[in-house]
Amino acid sequence: MLNHPLFLIGGMAVVTFIPRFFPLLLLSKKEISPSLSRWMSFIPVSIFAALVASDIFFWEGTFNINPVLNIKLVPSVLVVLIALKTKSLLWSMVLGITAITIMWLIF
Amino acid sequence: MDADFKQYLLFIVVLNMLYCLNINITELGCRNMNRETIVSGVKASSPIMVSYIALGIACGIVLYDAGFSVVQIFLMSLFVYAGAAQFLAASMVVLGASFPSIILMVFFLNLRHVLMSASISGFVRNRSLRFLGLFGHTLSDETFGINYSKFQLGNWTPKEALVTSVSNYGTWVLSTMLGGVIGSQIPINTLIMNYALIAMFLCMMVLQFVSKPHIIAAAVSIIFTVILTIVLQHNIALVIATVLASFAGYYVETREHRRKGGREHA
Repeated sequence: MLNHPLFLIGGMAVVTFIPRFFPLLLLSKKEISPSLSRWMSFIPVSIFAALVASDIFFWEGTFNINPVLNIKLVPSVLVVLIALKTKSLLWSMVLGITAITIMWLIF
Repeated sequence: MDADFKQYLLFIVVLNMLYCLNINITELGCRNMNRETIVSGVKASSPIMVSYIALGIACGIVLYDAGFSVVQIFLMSLFVYAGAAQFLAASMVVLGASFPSIILMVFFLNLRHVLMSASISGFVRNRSLRFLGLFGHTLSDETFGINYSKFQLGNWTPKEALVTSVSNYGTWVLSTMLGGVIGSQIPINTLIMNYALIAMFLCMMVLQFVSKPHIIAAAVSIIFTVILTIVLQHNIALVIATVLASFAGYYVETREHRRKGGREHA
């Protein structure tokens, strides 16, 4: 049962609803300790970095930072640059897809 | 009946269901919605709706690619409704992560909503539980952004805010489902599709670079993720790296504050 997609969806629904609903009902901004809110501000950036790192530095299951063999590395550098410049999700995705497609066709 | 046609039929049925639902869904939160409120709420949400259509279709495609059916994608968008979390789920399922570790990551990712929810709570005081339930469930980063800034400017009512939230919500549910249908019809290169996700996470990471400690947290997270993934060979590495990196960022920021404070005193 734990392997059923509906379990995943249900679990995600619960952990999404709780932090959205209960503060609305019970809290106001002043009631959250400043240290807690400061710590929380570091969670999203850490998650996105972890997600990216667990993918781009690995090729076929093993650690690989050779930009010729691991074709995800060069596009990633380009995406970071374009993200810094445009701050746009769509542009980053469009450029990323284009770059990886070119790399895939070449290598 | 062949499978394609069945899926198409299902799509049409759900579409109709959603249309009827959409009319009543805001009424669910508060009654006596007048026409002007709805028009003004939808107007405010329209730029977000456009970007939700594009991102929603992309999200539906990657979820389908990760192995979710169109119905499951619909249910996920309806009951979870969190773009970043849904992209995260697709990515981690592809990585082969266990469901409990995905749920744990989603929980951490959604902790940021505590702050948004608490900040906006002052503007919707004394509303019914049903209103707050719907308003809470439909709170997203973008919805919060637009509603919070409108509330601060004044002349923005909770009713209009709810209409804005629900419009974005409906758009997201429909777009992700449409993405799922597109994903099921078009064969997509898995390497490239997965990379689209990575490109998005990279951009989301860059958008969080608001101070030096945040950049340090990202670097720490990358280093720990790589080392722990090699050592542990398990996706729990991501969870551990996230927690360690967030504390590292917090620690660096606290030290910076102290140093600045010290200098001011001297």
